[in-house]
Amino acid sequence: MTESMIRIVSIYPTLLGTYGDGGNVLALRHRAHLHGLDVEIHDVTPGESVPTNADLYVIGGGEDTAQVAAANALRTDGGLAGAVDRGATLLAICAGYQLIGTEFPDAVGNPAPGVGIIDIRTDRLSQRAVGELVAQPARYAPSGVADFLTGYENHAGATHLGADAQPFAVVESGIGNGDGTEGAVAGHVIGSYLHGPCLARNPQIADQLLSWVTDRELTQIVEDDVVALRAERIDYVSRNS
Amino acid sequence: MSPTLRTRFAISVGRAAARASQLAGRGEGMVVGGKITLKLAPRAIADLANGRVAALVSATNGKTSTTRLLANAVEQLGPVLTAQTGANMTSGVVTVLANGGEDTVAVLEVDEAYLPMVTADTNPRVILLGNLSRDQLDRMSEVAMTARKWRKMLAQHPEVIVVANADDPVVTYAAEQAPKVVWVAGGQVWTADSAVCPECGTLLTRDGASWHCTGCQRARPDPTWFLEWVDGVGAALAPDGKRYDLSGLLLPGRFNASNATMALAVCGQLGLNLPESVDRMCRVDAVSGRYAVVDVGAVRIRLLLAKNPAGWTELIDVMPPAPAPVIVTINSNSADGRDPSWLWDVPFERLRGRTVIATGDRRRDLAVRLLHADVDHVVIADPYAVGAPLPTATRNLDVIDNAATYTGFHALRTRAAREAGR
Repeated sequence: MTESMIRIVSIYPTLLGTYGDGGNVLALRHRAHLHGLDVEIHDVTPGESVPTNADLYVIGGGEDTAQVAAANALRTDGGLAGAVDRGATLLAICAGYQLIGTEFPDAVGNPAPGVGIIDIRTDRLSQRAVGELVAQPARYAPSGVADFLTGYENHAGATHLGADAQPFAVVESGIGNGDGTEGAVAGHVIGSYLHGPCLARNPQIADQLLSWVTDRELTQIVEDDVVALRAERIDYVSRNS
Repeated sequence: MSPTLRTRFAISVGRAAARASQLAGRGEGMVVGGKITLKLAPRAIADLANGRVAALVSATNGKTSTTRLLANAVEQLGPVLTAQTGANMTSGVVTVLANGGEDTVAVLEVDEAYLPMVTADTNPRVILLGNLSRDQLDRMSEVAMTARKWRKMLAQHPEVIVVANADDPVVTYAAEQAPKVVWVAGGQVWTADSAVCPECGTLLTRDGASWHCTGCQRARPDPTWFLEWVDGVGAALAPDGKRYDLSGLLLPGRFNASNATMALAVCGQLGLNLPESVDRMCRVDAVSGRYAVVDVGAVRIRLLLAKNPAGWTELIDVMPPAPAPVIVTINSNSADGRDPSWLWDVPFERLRGRTVIATGDRRRDLAVRLLHADVDHVVIADPYAVGAPLPTATRNLDVIDNAATYTGFHALRTRAAREAGR
């Protein structure tokens, strides 16, 4: 392993990978290669301890039962919280976003304890949020994320941000956190309801995460296929909302 | 016993609506007609079923093919009522039941979400439960939720014989408490939706096809039927030790051999002659257009239905090897699932070495997925048009595989039929 190797850990993809979020890891690898960076990807399965020396952690969405199991395993293990404390970067999507907060609803709607990595709390929306989600990065969003965020949401969580977390974006179309904001940012942690997957549809977020990890600004690289997809989805939402 | 006047009246109104829909060019009208019938006579399915439903078939993947294999086998007893088009919600079921003699035996495919309702209305002798995995998550319950509904349904119908795939832990969870279960080792290639115990959430321990839960001690039940799949050739091993060669199946792939094995286990429960059942299954070639070779515009294609990651994972094996190009059609209409992010769960990396022609409403999502899989691709809105910028290799092929999601598949069938009729 070279000094410049970026160590990426995918947390419990077997539990939390229902909505294509494994694509976020592929997108990180893809963007890293475009920027000439080397990555090493490690999938952690439940029961295995979470490595504490990685640079970037990614956690995806999943079903209720799996979400509770993942939160319990991560709390017991302690590795992820420790790594974030020491400054590691974390992207958490949907069920993963909910479970890094202090509490979230279990399969029958009772509050289940989260991992407590960021200051958010989730309870239930009155109606499930399913559909395209478009949001404008909020003023708290990291500087590298400026374009519209696009993705697909499918969740029943209303997420409330505490004093130590800031909204990631402002909803243009869709539900997001349920109060007009979408996702949360705290230090080098980003949480979001965007599937799609998030980083493939919003490469600026991938580059921001890689920029934090490498502690340098990355050049702008755009790819035609991605530009075409983003334009199509934002056009679709603007015509249908 | 003939159906009630109410039901017969509702059927006649439904039929008229179906004809109107058909004349207006909006498809076969089964769904529209069935919906109207059920609105006028909500008990129509129960009334029409009247004890003649031999089997219901449900699964995420393979239910149309399995139903066809089973229905062909059951025909050894005489005519069988079954959907010819894969109409599998209550509206389709009522139309199928209304369109045959009152005593004709029925073998019905049922959508996973509608299975509890249709079971309650039809009192089938056997229910076949094939597999459960992620599909159309914007419409369907998550996988474990569907299994809980099936489990509850079977608790309410203890008289039904269940034929279930023991290799799928989610199906097992649904079926394990039923009094009469025939367990089939039908295989499970896609395991990502059954990583954890559906009951307690513990990560399942797997060893080959076998699996168990260290949290609540649930384990794979002992199967009495086995699918044997060696070097691309299948056989079904029966509880009495007899071996049924499935190499004559015209439907390709491991998954169809599995479908046939499960259907054969149902035949056993129905008291059918099993060698004859296999012979009859081997005459099924194209099921509702699947694997049919058709001309669309300037291209001759073999139609493949591929609508979710589990289906795709096995379908890639039946495609000719690289560098043969393939056409992939991705739509996101209601019947396809509105969210195509499942494309990221498909191992498209296995298509490396060929050019993929990406088409359909969501061809740009596919293009981005293929970009990340390092698969060469071109994005073409209508690859079938004369003069479409297809890769040269495509023009040299006699027939090109075209995998499509549900509505893309049906649009291609319709277009091919229309053009053939000109």
